[in-house]
Amino acid sequence: MSLEYFLNITGPMLEGARTTVVLFFLAIVTSIPLGFVFTLMVKSAVKPLAWIANAYIYVMRGTPLLLQMLFFCFGLPVIPVIGEYLVMDRFAAACLAFTLNYAAYFAEIFRGGLLAIDKGQYEAAQVLGLGRWHTMTRIILPQMFRIALPAVSNEAITLVKDTALLYAVAVPELLHFAQTAVNRDFTIMPFVVAGVIYLLMTLVLTLFFKLLERKFKFE
Amino acid sequence: MDKNIIEVTNLRKSFGALEVLKNVSLRVAPSEVVAVIGPSGSGKSTMLRSLAHLEVVNGGSIVIGGQDLVRDGVYPSGAKVREITSRMGMVFQHFNLFPHLTVRGNLELAPKLVKQLSAAEIARRASELLEKVGLQDKGESYPSNLSGGQKQRVAIARALMMSPEILLFDEPTSALDPELTGEVLQVMRQLAKERMTMVVVTHEMGFAREVADRVMFMADGEFIESGTPEQLFGSPQHERTQLFLNRVL
Repeated sequence: MSLEYFLNITGPMLEGARTTVVLFFLAIVTSIPLGFVFTLMVKSAVKPLAWIANAYIYVMRGTPLLLQMLFFCFGLPVIPVIGEYLVMDRFAAACLAFTLNYAAYFAEIFRGGLLAIDKGQYEAAQVLGLGRWHTMTRIILPQMFRIALPAVSNEAITLVKDTALLYAVAVPELLHFAQTAVNRDFTIMPFVVAGVIYLLMTLVLTLFFKLLERKFKFE
Repeated sequence: MDKNIIEVTNLRKSFGALEVLKNVSLRVAPSEVVAVIGPSGSGKSTMLRSLAHLEVVNGGSIVIGGQDLVRDGVYPSGAKVREITSRMGMVFQHFNLFPHLTVRGNLELAPKLVKQLSAAEIARRASELLEKVGLQDKGESYPSNLSGGQKQRVAIARALMMSPEILLFDEPTSALDPELTGEVLQVMRQLAKERMTMVVVTHEMGFAREVADRVMFMADGEFIESGTPEQLFGSPQHERTQLFLNRVL
């Protein structure tokens, strides 16, 4: 195993890892706010909003992400009449599937965070004269995000690994280049390199969330 | 009429089929310290929470300083309710400090958001009150690093930040280790001396006896007996009061 070979395969794989990272960031920055919107809908006093959100969460958590991705890539375009307007770039379709799927999980994580907040917090805010908006933004949400942090970290790490599902819709990413190299060169090495790259990415995330947790320790 | 700052008349409150407040009436004069005692589940806390609008009653009236918080079971608009309840501060059994804010943050948040005061003025007042409760060196600590007694003193200072005319205490020492109740009671004693109007739901008979102007005994959702501490502790008239006092004293 020469260094030259190692560099040869690592180049395209890092290129693929860039796609992985882009998908990760797009999915995480969109699914967290969207998930929070669903949390608010579930908790809403307007019952139809709660039903919609609950149904949404049930469907998105109850079916495989892979199915959802295939649905957006190859399913939508074959719908009669409107299908032709629903053709998306495969990477865009995958991003959409990831966002919608992860939003459902984040919605449940944030809901758990809200449940963990003692009702005395709302009462203290009320007797101090804070309105609903201030109670939510200054008292409840900061605590909710703090409580949710470990679970969000977990979800973010799962998301990094789930990006490998792009393989199924033939968007070239990290795993795609590894597989190609293994097939071509008949060596296990590219898989090891891919594993190490995934580990490095999750390591960065782990450290990042550890840092956040320490920063928001409130001690 | 006007001489009472709190007038509660025929208050009724049920949780489902359970009638917690049957026909509760209460008068508190300005600067008066009223201790409410009684067995668990007698409705003491519910009565107090109704004053702060943390419970919605089913009937009766609450008048705070001449303003109707509720009249014959009917509440005014939300804005009106907020205006009236802003005249009262409340201290909870479990402190209910905001864990994500420092002690100073706990004190300053509500005045910053609700009152039209400058940040400098609020900070100065926070320093004053921290000193008053003996926690001037804890301003930058988070609640998780404080003892129970310190937390409750912060909670009292936080309530005072809003300059309430009335302070409501819901079993302020019940969650504390016995050796920590003294420091909290000391602060309350000081407030009584400064003529703060206080309604204190408490299990601290010693405090009720020493500080309260009037002690009221509640059982099964009604006030059974009330009087000066000497009367109520010295010669309770009602059999239920006697039974209760025998058990706790």
